Amino acid sequence: MSNKQIDEGLKQWEELYSKSLPNDKPRTNRSNIKIKPIYTPNDWDSDRYMEDLGFPGEEPMARGIYPTMHRGQTWSQRQLVGLATPELYNTRVKQMIANGANALSMIPCNSVYRGLDVDLVDPVLLGTCGITINTVGDMAKCLKDIPIDKMSIGLNDPIPFTMLAQVLAHAKNINVPWNKLTGTSNQSDYISHYVANHMFFRLALKGSRRVQMDEISFLRDNCPGWNPVSVVGQHMQQAGATPAEAMGLTLSTAIQYGNDCVERGMLPDSFLPRFTFFFDISISYFEEIAKFRAGRRVWARITKERFGAKDPRSSRFKFHCQTSGVDLTRVQPLNNIARVAIQGIAGILGGCQSMHTDGYDEALSCPTEEAALISVATQNILKDEAGLTDVIDALGGSYYLETLTNQMEEEIEATISRIDAAGGMFLAVESGLVQGIIGESAMAHQEKVDSGEHKIVGVNAYVPDEDDASNRKVQPWPDQNIMAKHIEDFCSFKENRDDAAVQRSLDKLSEAAKSDNQNVYEQVVQATINNATQGEIITRLRDELGFGNPLINA
Amino acid sequence: MIEEKTTKEAFKPRVLVTKIGLDGHDRGSRIIAAWLRDAGMEVIYTAPWQEISTVVKLVQEEDVDVIGLSSLATDHLLVPKLMTALSEVGYQHVKVVVGGIVPDADELMLLDAGVSKVFHTGSAKNDVIEAIGALANKARNSSSSITFN
Amino acid sequence: MKAKNDDKPWLVRLLNGERTVLAKAISALENETDEASTIISGIYPYIGKALVVGFTGSPGVGKSTLVNSYIAGLCEEGLRVGVIAVDPSSPLSGGAILGDRIRMAAHEHLENVFIRSLASRCHVGGLSRATARIVDVMDAAGMDVVVIETVGAGQSEVEIAEIAHTKVVVCSPGLGDDIQAIKAGILEIADILVVNKCDLPLAAHTVRQLKSMLSLRDESPEWSTPVVSTSALEGTGVVELTEIIKNHEKMSSNKKEGYGKGKPQQRVLRLLANSAADEIKKALLQDKSEEISTICDAVLKGEMIFSDAIQRLIKGSLPCKQ
Repeated sequence: MSNKQIDEGLKQWEELYSKSLPNDKPRTNRSNIKIKPIYTPNDWDSDRYMEDLGFPGEEPMARGIYPTMHRGQTWSQRQLVGLATPELYNTRVKQMIANGANALSMIPCNSVYRGLDVDLVDPVLLGTCGITINTVGDMAKCLKDIPIDKMSIGLNDPIPFTMLAQVLAHAKNINVPWNKLTGTSNQSDYISHYVANHMFFRLALKGSRRVQMDEISFLRDNCPGWNPVSVVGQHMQQAGATPAEAMGLTLSTAIQYGNDCVERGMLPDSFLPRFTFFFDISISYFEEIAKFRAGRRVWARITKERFGAKDPRSSRFKFHCQTSGVDLTRVQPLNNIARVAIQGIAGILGGCQSMHTDGYDEALSCPTEEAALISVATQNILKDEAGLTDVIDALGGSYYLETLTNQMEEEIEATISRIDAAGGMFLAVESGLVQGIIGESAMAHQEKVDSGEHKIVGVNAYVPDEDDASNRKVQPWPDQNIMAKHIEDFCSFKENRDDAAVQRSLDKLSEAAKSDNQNVYEQVVQATINNATQGEIITRLRDELGFGNPLINA
Repeated sequence: MIEEKTTKEAFKPRVLVTKIGLDGHDRGSRIIAAWLRDAGMEVIYTAPWQEISTVVKLVQEEDVDVIGLSSLATDHLLVPKLMTALSEVGYQHVKVVVGGIVPDADELMLLDAGVSKVFHTGSAKNDVIEAIGALANKARNSSSSITFN
Repeated sequence: MKAKNDDKPWLVRLLNGERTVLAKAISALENETDEASTIISGIYPYIGKALVVGFTGSPGVGKSTLVNSYIAGLCEEGLRVGVIAVDPSSPLSGGAILGDRIRMAAHEHLENVFIRSLASRCHVGGLSRATARIVDVMDAAGMDVVVIETVGAGQSEVEIAEIAHTKVVVCSPGLGDDIQAIKAGILEIADILVVNKCDLPLAAHTVRQLKSMLSLRDESPEWSTPVVSTSALEGTGVVELTEIIKNHEKMSSNKKEGYGKGKPQQRVLRLLANSAADEIKKALLQDKSEEISTICDAVLKGEMIFSDAIQRLIKGSLPCKQ
């Protein structure tokens, strides 16, 4: 078919279209890209096939990072689970495994994120949104009867990675060699915490930077199957960044971490293969798929052009994704099952390596058991019933998707350039630039919701006359008796340990933090093996490396 | 919407937008702060993780009419303790609203404890502004203000 | 300062430093309620003790963080510190987001510290109209030091010179606009210049630039304006800055004309002038007389120049004209 024929056909169609739809309003996606009513070979042509797409597992990586993608191995179904006590977690996780979950994930209680042991927190808050896990003893209870050498473990474990230290200590206690462990340190991206999520950081920005490098280097030498860094776009997008901004800022963060590693004397091909990513999937379906495809291309280019990577594994953009909590509604919560399914499809067609689908009741409370099981079932339906895994990059070649992927790539590159111009991500965060970008986009999105331009069913469209809340089930708060028993256990754990050994290892930790050349993370692991609590470890590090105060702008 | 008082300037409600407890997600509190500013109110905006005693001190120093607490995890469970602390210093006239993710049963618990209103996710801008403006007026008028004479 | 026997109960409580009374008094002054003049006349015998330090400079240079570090040292000395943190009001809605406390979170809970956030309420000088009076009421309530942090709107901030004994002008490295603003006016009021974020590249360059600008300025024989490098986030240079502020205070209180801490006459004069200006404005705006409209018409037609019109209005509007 000649271009002339297409041009003529398009012209005719455009006339018809504008005649039948004279008041057609311009539409944009969340990344502010204008969306046309139709895309044709004039927008994207298969002449560009090799340049834009190529084949899975090969440059430019648009179609996927492995040759076989989901035909060979489907994504890890990694459901976040965080229940009040280690014992309750252990019970729930075994049930999830029996229902098809094939990887573990652990969310600690917010008190742990703040670096506080259970004896320092108002008991009414303990265990309300995650596991109260303070010691290697707690970790042993969480992982009881679970074959940790056969399951990939995802830990929501911010700097200084005390949960990972507990896993390592537990492995040592049950004689599992560290090189048999696989998993990922989620929440290792301290920059994302500073810009978007003022919860996980425990140390000042500079101290965090140092401990992260110590962790990467320690794990590279001692636990090579572990992914020490998961660069997180999810927080930024949940906080309001557009999908393109979230991707661009995440890649800028990865560039920063990569540069820090190089400055530490590490060779790019020794750390890049272990970099992983974590993204939000909003309900903007095509945009999300394009975001992932574009991100894969940009990362592959970054690893070659900026880091000179030679090992093909260095250029693989491995990512975990999670359906967007912000998109869920409190009104008519069962509708969220539909939203989560659509977001899940976007994650799969975007070529994810790992996924969490939200419980439908997350706008009401922490997920109930029923909701958690439905979200696992949602993934199973998508994986085994819907035929989504039959074809690799099934939407590739769509005029629209390819055009959109290219446009998203431009937007992503523009964000990266903006951060480059500010001296890199670290300085851009210190100066508040990134917080400003995210805040502005959050407000712009909110205005679209307020004006009704962005529709949310049940909230600003199809609003129900009455939303009967009376028979909604919510996850009950932890039984205060169980929690009291847990606190008691914690206190007796502290009483029964070798105090001198604890103090010695904490002193060594402080000393390492004071020095410029000792590995702090090695001492975190040693202190945990010697039964120091996460609160004690973090307190010592805060004394030396500074407290993580929020870097927010009003 | 906001009545003018017998002062030289229109009465400007002062609202403290803050977070107590452990969580730090601030997208909601930032949006609320901007809404209230655009409605002509003065918003005192703080870092997250405030202690209850500090919130009480802030309320006194800043002479606020309304406290807006954002809770996206479970920190709303601490709010009854804040209510008690406010009445202990004689500041029960200050109105407290909670916004974010609050389960239904907990909403009742908060209202029982003296919270004026709970806003859930998806609350409309005008509803929030109107409710807070009205509460601010009520608070200012019921304030057992010190008389300077 | 000790209250006198015939002082009203509110004044006794204020002089005792009661937080709630101070806060309510500030509100009354800020909103210019009918109680404001009672408060001003009540506190008048008790002001003039506090050291008043102003921090100014463009947005983003780290003023709040620097103030936070500065008050940390004052607290350690056991001093009582009042902070007035001014943020801009939205010109459209009249509302404001007052966020300076974010960076002062480390001290806001301390008993010895009283922080009040003020909206500029669209007053152009960089300070809220009521700021001077609020300084006085904090002073009367026993604050040893009152710190004012301005909006940070650049050159219009010279107004702080009227209020603060010691003016600290803060800038950060590599901000061209900043230097422009400093050239354009702030430099004139600076008693101390601070280059914050001194760990950033270009910091040394900025210090040199400022020093060379200062060398062009007429220095007073008593005080040569220092340029201090700080990193408020890391706490470096803050002890030095605190020391320099103290020295400046000593220098200025030694001056004969009562400059510095003990210049109550000047402060009263300033208060009177402000109040008089308010009164005149009120009187003029309410005046519906023929004379006013004649003057306005004359100005509109270009028959009378502005300064003459002002002279006539002032003379005509003063209450003593009857």
